[in-house]
Amino acid sequence: MEKVYSENYSGDELMAIEASRFIKSTDTVILGTGLPMVAAIFAQKTHAVGVNFVVESGSIDPILPFAPFTVADPIIGHMAVRTGSLREVLGCMVQRGLVDVGFLGGAEIDQFGNINSTCIGDPQSPKVRFPGSGGANCIASCVPKILIITEHEKRRFPAKVQFITSPGYIDGPDGRKKAGLKMAKPDIIVVTDLCVMQINPDTGRLELTKLMPGVTIDEVYKNTGFEPRLRGKMGEVELPTEAELKILREEVDPNHIYLKEFSKQPRT
Amino acid sequence: MSKVSKRVKVMSAQEAVENLVFHGAIIGMGGQNVTRCAVALAHEIIKQGKRDLTLTGCNLSIHMDLMVGAGLVKKCEFGLGGLGRFGATFQFRRAIEERRMEAEDYDHLTMVCRFLAGEMGIPFIPVRGLMGSDILKYQAPSTKKKFEIINNPWNQGEKVLLVPAMEPDVTIVHVQKADEIGNVLIQGIACHEPELIRASKTTIVSCEEIVPTRFFRTNSDSTTVPYHYIDAVVEQRFGAYPAATTGYYSFDADHINYYQQRSRAGGEEYKKYLNEYVYGCETFDDVLEKCGGVKRLNHLHREMLRLM
Repeated sequence: MEKVYSENYSGDELMAIEASRFIKSTDTVILGTGLPMVAAIFAQKTHAVGVNFVVESGSIDPILPFAPFTVADPIIGHMAVRTGSLREVLGCMVQRGLVDVGFLGGAEIDQFGNINSTCIGDPQSPKVRFPGSGGANCIASCVPKILIITEHEKRRFPAKVQFITSPGYIDGPDGRKKAGLKMAKPDIIVVTDLCVMQINPDTGRLELTKLMPGVTIDEVYKNTGFEPRLRGKMGEVELPTEAELKILREEVDPNHIYLKEFSKQPRT
Repeated sequence: MSKVSKRVKVMSAQEAVENLVFHGAIIGMGGQNVTRCAVALAHEIIKQGKRDLTLTGCNLSIHMDLMVGAGLVKKCEFGLGGLGRFGATFQFRRAIEERRMEAEDYDHLTMVCRFLAGEMGIPFIPVRGLMGSDILKYQAPSTKKKFEIINNPWNQGEKVLLVPAMEPDVTIVHVQKADEIGNVLIQGIACHEPELIRASKTTIVSCEEIVPTRFFRTNSDSTTVPYHYIDAVVEQRFGAYPAATTGYYSFDADHINYYQQRSRAGGEEYKKYLNEYVYGCETFDDVLEKCGGVKRLNHLHREMLRLM
């Protein structure tokens, strides 16, 4: 079938679709609340029909008709082969090495792919306190491919996070190994409304690999607290097709829980 | 009295909290986010003013926030404090920012493994994770020793993180079914609760319905935890409200949003919420009545059935 591309999409929609492109049909994916859930369910409904999901609250391979409200929404157990405990998923699957892809998010992400979801300022007396790790640290420590979907703002991308909640490459290519993490060289991919960045395991730093349609390198640099190196010739993220947008809007997030900026044009 | 007892343990929330919860206790918190939070039991603890509490669990959400907001909590030891898509748990957040409460951060896996060590009666447990993170750089003033890193005795050169067992004094959980001696069935996602319950010195369980023991004896492969670990059984329909209980009712997004508005506003606004919905209600049934009664609860019940 010929692809009919659409330019009538929001930043959130293309972020979710682009992130889904990193998921393969053979993957076991641990879901996270928000756009990650949208991206993963979209992948299952399009190019990765064989993908299976696990969820920290204990749900194993559920069939999710649409994106649930949270990872502890009762529907997260819908048609699962097992609804077990948190330990079974984070311990017996993620820590055990059975999960291929994990999604993470946070208030800050730095050039080494470290994530802060704990606090701004002194941890004993923080200026702003965030929720904390939850399942994130375990996923960051043990999963070989990490996907991060986030809005691209300068304050979100400092050179160094104020608190490492979930380790990326910590301080360089051998940072994880030195710290004692068995998964020494995970792939880390960051999808924003401006670009895609991917970790270079030899430098331990994020590199700019693709731009969102219409976005310039300058614009990325202006909105980033470090200067990601360019990986090869800058490609553009593929536009969504009309068929993809229909599935995303009508099947994956029919109640517009996540994709509220439905009609907003991409930020250019 | 031996804990492992087949005696009838059915009592009111008031009796259970009077008998088992004490000032300064470490409270194990069941529930995750908007599922099976032990809200009715948390209300009772607040009304009885049990203070200087330490709350522990994986995801501490709305019932934790209520107890913190009531000024009863001196420390939280947890994986995460928040309400996901509903936003921050504002009482928790402010109490930490204003240094009125200690926070001891771990992560979900580490916490559930600490309960796993507790339930097996071993002193500590190795976990992969946390290494390289700043979670290991900081600890709350009252924490004695947060962790230890050793060399794997069977694989020299491999660093292994050890964390201490956690055995809460009293755990509060809300489940679907229990019998009068304390056999428990959790339906749907079980979160960290099987480990948490078995690790606790005592447990109060509130349930949607009390079923005959025969139910467990004829479905023994689906008993989540047997009566050996349970000290009080409280029958409380809709006891997780405004959170959900799988198979029974959905969460009440409107009330959670209302709570969040009051909690975010803080001060007098928040006190008004506590006065109206907690202190001002003699029983949890009165809370449910105030929140829309039969009409609202039927709606949430139908929403759940639609999901199933």
